[in-house]
Amino acid sequence: MTSTEPPARAGHGAAHSEQSVLGGHAPRQQRVGKPLTFDDARHLQAHQFLVDEAYLLDAQEYRAWLETLTDDIHYLMPVRVTTALGSGFDTSPGMAHFDENKYSLSRRVARFVTEHAWTEDPPSRLRHYITNVRTFASSDDDHLVVESAELLFRSRGDVNEAAFVSCGREDLLRREGQSWKLARRVISVDESVMRMQNLAVFL
Amino acid sequence: MTDHAQVLADVRRGMIPAHIYNDSALFELEKERLFSRAWLFVAHESEIPQNGDYVVRRVLEDSFIISRDSRGEIRAMFNMCLHRGMQVCRAEMGNASNFRCPYHGWSYRNDGRIIGLPFHKEAYGGEDGFKKKGQTLLPAPNLASYNGLIFISMDSGAEPLEDFLGDFKYYLDFYTKQSAQGLEVRGPQRWRIKANWKIGAENFAGDMYHTPQTHTSVVEIGLFREPKAEKRKDGATYWADKGGGTTYKLPPGTFEERMRYVGYPDEMIDRIKQAWTPQQQRLVGEDGFMISAASCFPNMSFVHNWPKVEDGEDVLPFISLRVWQPISADETEVYSWFAVDAAAPEDYKAKSYKAYLMCFGSTGMFEQDDVENWVSLTNTAAGSMARRLLLNSRMGLLEDNSVVVDPLPAEQFHGPGYAQVGYNENNQRELLTLWADHLEMPPVRTDATAVGTHNPDGITPLVQTNRAPAVPCPSTEEKAAQA
Repeated sequence: MTSTEPPARAGHGAAHSEQSVLGGHAPRQQRVGKPLTFDDARHLQAHQFLVDEAYLLDAQEYRAWLETLTDDIHYLMPVRVTTALGSGFDTSPGMAHFDENKYSLSRRVARFVTEHAWTEDPPSRLRHYITNVRTFASSDDDHLVVESAELLFRSRGDVNEAAFVSCGREDLLRREGQSWKLARRVISVDESVMRMQNLAVFL
Repeated sequence: MTDHAQVLADVRRGMIPAHIYNDSALFELEKERLFSRAWLFVAHESEIPQNGDYVVRRVLEDSFIISRDSRGEIRAMFNMCLHRGMQVCRAEMGNASNFRCPYHGWSYRNDGRIIGLPFHKEAYGGEDGFKKKGQTLLPAPNLASYNGLIFISMDSGAEPLEDFLGDFKYYLDFYTKQSAQGLEVRGPQRWRIKANWKIGAENFAGDMYHTPQTHTSVVEIGLFREPKAEKRKDGATYWADKGGGTTYKLPPGTFEERMRYVGYPDEMIDRIKQAWTPQQQRLVGEDGFMISAASCFPNMSFVHNWPKVEDGEDVLPFISLRVWQPISADETEVYSWFAVDAAAPEDYKAKSYKAYLMCFGSTGMFEQDDVENWVSLTNTAAGSMARRLLLNSRMGLLEDNSVVVDPLPAEQFHGPGYAQVGYNENNQRELLTLWADHLEMPPVRTDATAVGTHNPDGITPLVQTNRAPAVPCPSTEEKAAQA
């Protein structure tokens, strides 16, 4: 083990996806080796993917966002729980906030574009802050594993207090033609009790 | 009570002073008289399946460890060290044979008994100074379970749980007893909403009227085929003692055909027929009503819906349990569990879980639009104008209190209590009438006690009221009774 190894509770995205209730279809590629250097072209492409995506999500351009996902996407956000150090788990067994495939994500997007998704009419003001990005190679040239930290700020109306979600993400990106697409995302939220009225957002 | 007499009188005639949804004085009264007395759902036995498993749950500000001890008995103990009051367990769940206080190292078995007290002899002079023997953490005042649903009452003199639930048990079984194996419960998802706890409980109890409006979008995207206005009003609401809910009217058919219509596979239908009484089966098979949302006073709710979870026409049912845990007059912590029959096939469990995630819970597409309404209502209820406004909650009643639609006769609705087809606010009024009744009760006595911590056999375990205990060996009490 060197000092650049991820801490014990990070870097388990692939395992979470594999163990989740609805992740049977998910791609299984994992990270290989140390993070790529920040001047590596693959890292720059991965970073750009995340930043471009953040702008799409801020603007709630969800149909365009759906186009950036592979058909076999697994989009998972486990429920975090407080457990004793050494208990060996910190997510709620068999439960998640999101455990999605392309179909269920497409229904969520379809709902937002109806004229009757009241929770987002008037729309929230969203800002997805993406930072601490690092990229790993995988076992093949067509996949990259990307870690990032995310802070979502969400403001609704003029009276309600704004809400935050802080999380870490481990993504699997797949090269499709000239661009990258998101094939797997595991969102590790930092609260066990969410302080947001609903998750009518994507992280 | 003179301050609130008019409020309660208005509530009882279905004219709701809007400020009851955001009033800190009333919230104090709710804590003192309602939540100090009513049976409150805290956990399901399937959340702690193995010996040593525990979850930590709150009743308002009070933290309880719900533990299955090393002999399989379930107990609930106040999560506060007898010495300096530190929480002895700071995790939300896990498996432990004992809990050690991090402050001075006192430790307790998972049945509540003290097993370790550092320097007992040197510091206290042993038993002469502090009688460690037989001392336990403070037990929950009252603990009971029905169909594996574990409830706590903060009133040691509370009526038995089954008496409290009354005839609502008939309906509770539809959600919680689909086979002899009972429920498997996962979660909860937890999140906080800036809404008063009563609003969600009322909505789930009987608000069929909101479905076609609030949930238009989920019908438009093909997630749910039922809530179209003309279908929703064909359903019936029912109320029985401490709970009530809504139903959908199913197309003509036998019990089996109607269970298949909402997506139950035949093997589950076979087990359901073993688990439900003939009278329960008649509600579906003869009357054609299928239970949907419901609430049990004061703050527990249920959902049973059957959405489409993949392309095609097939629908699949899911069940969810939830608690509206009050934080303050304007904030609620939602606990939302996915529940499925433990004997169901694994493929069904996975799809039912997917149906739950798509519809309800923190990310559910039904839920999202509900909460937006409730937050807005709570916000608006805080000001002085809300004290001048009586919200009309009299749907289904004429001015002279006669009913718009007659209740269903017994031969058209085989469940207990009373039921009525179409839109009405009977159940919301029933729930708030129970609320008003509780606010007029005297405060529950909560005398300081050191006596309650003397339990030589550990804290009294949970008693299963309606089925054989999971552990076949007789308890100490039963042995004593036989002797």
